[in-house]
Amino acid sequence: MTAVIETRGLAKTYGTVRALDGLDLSIPRGGVYGVLGPNGAGKSTLFRILLGLIRSTDGTAIVMGGGVGDVAAMRRMGSMIETPRFPPYLTARQVLEWLARAQGITGAADIPRWLERVGLTEAADRRVRGFSVGMMQRLGVAAALLSDPELIILDEPTSGMDPPGIQEMRALIRALADHEGVTVVLASHQLLEVQRVCDRVAILNKGKLVREGAVSELTAVGERLRLSVTQQAQVLEVLGSKGAAEGDAVLADIKRAEGPALIRALAGAGVDIHEARWVGTDLEAIFFTETGAVQAPETIHAG
Amino acid sequence: MLADAIRAEGYRLSKNRMTVFWSVIFTPLLFAVGGIAYHLNKAQGDKLAAGANLPTMPVSPVNLAEALTFTANLAAEAKLGGMILVFMLIAGATVYAGDYRWESWRLISARNDRTSLILGKVGVMKVLALATMLVLLVASLLFFASQAIIYQRPLSFDMSLAEAGDTLLIWLLSCIRIVQFGLIGLLTAIVTRSMLAALFVPLALGFGQSILGIPPLMAFLGLHPDGWAAQLLMPGLSYDALKTLLVPGITPAPITAAALWPAIVGLALWTLLPLGASIAWFKRQDLSKE
Repeated sequence: MTAVIETRGLAKTYGTVRALDGLDLSIPRGGVYGVLGPNGAGKSTLFRILLGLIRSTDGTAIVMGGGVGDVAAMRRMGSMIETPRFPPYLTARQVLEWLARAQGITGAADIPRWLERVGLTEAADRRVRGFSVGMMQRLGVAAALLSDPELIILDEPTSGMDPPGIQEMRALIRALADHEGVTVVLASHQLLEVQRVCDRVAILNKGKLVREGAVSELTAVGERLRLSVTQQAQVLEVLGSKGAAEGDAVLADIKRAEGPALIRALAGAGVDIHEARWVGTDLEAIFFTETGAVQAPETIHAG
Repeated sequence: MLADAIRAEGYRLSKNRMTVFWSVIFTPLLFAVGGIAYHLNKAQGDKLAAGANLPTMPVSPVNLAEALTFTANLAAEAKLGGMILVFMLIAGATVYAGDYRWESWRLISARNDRTSLILGKVGVMKVLALATMLVLLVASLLFFASQAIIYQRPLSFDMSLAEAGDTLLIWLLSCIRIVQFGLIGLLTAIVTRSMLAALFVPLALGFGQSILGIPPLMAFLGLHPDGWAAQLLMPGLSYDALKTLLVPGITPAPITAAALWPAIVGLALWTLLPLGASIAWFKRQDLSKE
């Protein structure tokens, strides 16, 4: 598995603040990769270094096989950092035409296609000074995709979008990764969103990598079968030490493979099972554990 | 890469119609309209004075070739040249500092090398300066042609090779002078990230230099117009010196041949130093704080 981004001992210091502290990270080609972390964890600093907007204090970063600032390598990737802004007198179409010229793809850029994919066809000839934050985000994503890149880096791609917009963006990101072979690296504070769209994640805290892995593997740890049943006491007796009550339900600490047999056994014993579903340690729980951030009561996951 | 930067910058500027109008068209248009109005008014006065038909002027042809020299001198002359300079600086502030104001550096800096991005902007501003000179030339031609029409004089085009060379030299020097101010605007834009500073710092510097160039003040400060100190401090003086020395008789500046090298070095210094400093600063600049 080749890496599209590789950092070794990457560090960035702002005065006395160490925004990145010897970060070793390898992002594989293909799929959607999420970079998570609380504010000040170093996500934006990492992206800014990778895009050559700022210089690292120490360490190395390789992007698309080239060093940061290698224009040929950089042109094989697209990016959108924070909420993008554009010269206000340009229309959405003109913004893309301008950026196409900026990366030497005059005439070849399929601008109408990208405008359509981000849902801006109707607003294509409107000046961007009247655009909402969500529309700016969409245009920023179109700009990032303009050169048909192999890698795109998106910082908070759904920020400021309405729910349908978020859903469309999620579908677009997945389609890029699944059907067009684009590696998508994104940072987001919306953990549920990340869990839904990402294949792998890295969690940063205080400039360091604290956890990295496939979302399916991370969330499988501590996975339990949650059974909504009428006869709770009977089920707890069957499960013994592997069972625990959670409200009216029972949590069964068993492996996935044992699930069907347990359900069959309980049904055979006359237990009324209203619902059975696997609940894991979701990304949000992992995030709060790894970063030590304080979880607000309303954000405690329901599984 | 430089070609991409120029193409992108040129495309973007072409869509900024207000800036293009004010920097390229407004001053020449004002000059053409004002010039024609002047001729009409003067002809009317001559007619009243003579109490008869025109012409009251000698019937010699109007030489359109004079419009070339006239244009180059106009661009550097205090009033109209000053107006052109102000509007060029407005355009320069937009081109050089716009990406800080619109937070758009991060969109393009990841797609090209930083030296090319800066040189692309400088290249576009040079084209803009040249376009302004060409439009001013058209306005001058209109001014001369209107003179011929109003006074019913024939038109001619008479220019020797030596005169053409002199005119080209004046054009070149005028263009360098305009670009020079722009480059000071570029350096200011990069250092301050501000459009207003990119406009006003070169203006203030130019104003300060013109004050310093007042002969009694120069004499008081012990600066000799031919000397290195004066020529290095005042690029406007270098411009006048070079025009006087290279195109004899064009300006009555009190300059001797001793000023030639100080003037060349002074003009080059005020052109290359801001450009070099701008590139060096920009290459190390944090573009995430726009």
